[in-house]
Amino acid sequence: MKTLDKPWVLIAEREITTKLRDKTFIGSTVVMLLIVMAAVIIPALIAGKGGPDKIAVIDDAGVKVVQQASTTTGDGYEVTRVADRPAAEKAVTDGKVEAALLPDADGYVVLGKDRVDSGVEGALREAAAAVGMETNAGKAGLSPAELHAGTKVSLQLLKPGPLPDIVSDFVNIGLALVFYMTALGFGMMIAQSVVQEKESRVVEILAAAVPIRSLLWGKVLGNTVLALTQIVVIAGASLIGLLATDQADILEVVAPVAGWFVVFFVLGFVAPAGLWAVAGSLATRQEDLGSTTLPGQMILMIPFFFSVFAGSSAKTVASFVPIASSMSMPGRMLTEDVPVWQPLVAIALLLAATVLIVRMGARLYERTLLQTGRRLGYREALALEAK
Amino acid sequence: MLRVAGLTRRFGDHLALDDVTFDVVPGRMTGFVGANGAGKTTTMRIILGVLAATAGEVRWQDQPLTQDVRRDFGYMPEERGLYPKMKIRDQLVFFGRLHGLDAERAAARTDKILGRLGLAERASDVLETLSLGNQQRVQIAAALVHEPIALVLDEPFSGLDPLAVDAMADLLREEVTSDVPVLFSSHQLDLVERLCDDLVVLSRGKVVAAGAVSELAAGPTSTYRLVVDGDAGWLRDVRGIQVRDVAGGTALFDVLDGAVEQKILQEAISRGPVLEFGPERVALSDVFREATR
Repeated sequence: MKTLDKPWVLIAEREITTKLRDKTFIGSTVVMLLIVMAAVIIPALIAGKGGPDKIAVIDDAGVKVVQQASTTTGDGYEVTRVADRPAAEKAVTDGKVEAALLPDADGYVVLGKDRVDSGVEGALREAAAAVGMETNAGKAGLSPAELHAGTKVSLQLLKPGPLPDIVSDFVNIGLALVFYMTALGFGMMIAQSVVQEKESRVVEILAAAVPIRSLLWGKVLGNTVLALTQIVVIAGASLIGLLATDQADILEVVAPVAGWFVVFFVLGFVAPAGLWAVAGSLATRQEDLGSTTLPGQMILMIPFFFSVFAGSSAKTVASFVPIASSMSMPGRMLTEDVPVWQPLVAIALLLAATVLIVRMGARLYERTLLQTGRRLGYREALALEAK
Repeated sequence: MLRVAGLTRRFGDHLALDDVTFDVVPGRMTGFVGANGAGKTTTMRIILGVLAATAGEVRWQDQPLTQDVRRDFGYMPEERGLYPKMKIRDQLVFFGRLHGLDAERAAARTDKILGRLGLAERASDVLETLSLGNQQRVQIAAALVHEPIALVLDEPFSGLDPLAVDAMADLLREEVTSDVPVLFSSHQLDLVERLCDDLVVLSRGKVVAAGAVSELAAGPTSTYRLVVDGDAGWLRDVRGIQVRDVAGGTALFDVLDGAVEQKILQEAISRGPVLEFGPERVALSDVFREATR
């Protein structure tokens, strides 16, 4: 008849089913999903809608230059034939074309409204030079191959990063933000769930039925599962978004790091989770949480701002510091070539810190959970005797 | 049997419990009374392991009480508490499982108790939407759902109307089998007298009286009460008794020699109609006042 010998599983189960029925929790998850989907899909739509830039020309030579320029860029350019210079100026001013290529005394003029995209300008400049030189070479009796002999320049990177700079900045901040938001959000939920049990006095029955540590472990386990599930759902949604908008190539960069991210996430989440539970057990009412959760907030906020705003060498240091490492190491691994010993060392440090923090958390939790008289401070709690 | 052996608890300089010892016998309801702050709740919390004792121990079947055994106890704390936003059926199933039942058994027990309490149709209501009286019923259901091997109830009937008290008492009698010791504290002495078999009186952290309610209420001497239709003054001349008071047909006397009360009854009947005759019971409130003075 008496079967369940792992009460923390039951506590975790209750934690999860309660949250899954909680409309605010479901609502906020849906909102987050929509934001992530929008962030993935909208840029792709905007980029796709523009199509190739249009360049206005007024003669055949211009057409030839624009066609040549098209071969050197991905999207290519579309030729728009206009009658004369005033017509070209009007097309540029009205924004119907990106720029106009007009013949000039000694070559060409690129006509723009207030600015010309440097990519467009460069491509046209190069194309004009190439077309002009080939014409000149033909006049001098040289074939195009003879003309280009020994002039080819190709690019070789000694330390190639997987992603372009601006993208990697976004990835770094994005990953740190995902961890920060999730850890903070679920941390507050843990603290609230603990203080709710104190407020409603149900904790007395719980504590009489099962060891207090089981309560703590159940809560931490339940919320870790919820947090990971939420992240997996959101990752799944962004995956679908990427596939739907033909951006699947990003996956090749992300996939190898995903496993590391999970490890860093789980450890970095569990360590402060113990503290969040303590924040709940120090309080006696919801209103107390503002002050008792402050250390928890700091433990996440300081590493977050550090890992986002610090320079690259400081970031490297941060990627070894427990909890900060959960925010910066996965990002670094995505955007830089990180030797494999580095994440391993970071995980070892994080693991050690997690064990320490969770132990201290469990001790404080056991001592303070049944103190329903008034709000306690951390120092006071440390000085309390057991029960 | 549940035995509280030499429990002592200090809160700083304050001695809340001082060498408290008593037994709670299976199949008997033991009332636990005492003034506010006498240490009843502290004792109960120590029995349930929510609080540690400074000295002494709680024993179960002559072994020290362990967490594993305690998990099968039923407990209703002084400060009532359940999950306010959880449906009552889910809640009771959860507590049943927390106390070690499997999911099916917990569900079956929950449905049975809810039916017994007349709350079956409210099973999927959230606790906080229930009236306070009904919340109290759910609270006692939470203590009974797992078929506890022992019950500790801190003021289980406070705040209930007399009908609800009767319903709860019936439920307790029905649910509590002859091998379950029950300890419950109360301020309502008449209720304790009516429901309890044994009594433990606590005063300032010490046990000042303990024993069967019938013995405690009988008082230390055998006092009898006689009411006749006429004058009872003749009693003053009878040997072997000490008359306490005679007023018209009503007399109160202590029996000094055994069996003399039967002779007095015969005498009284021969003299005229007897309206009332029997041992004078001491009100429990007097026992309580006497013991805690």
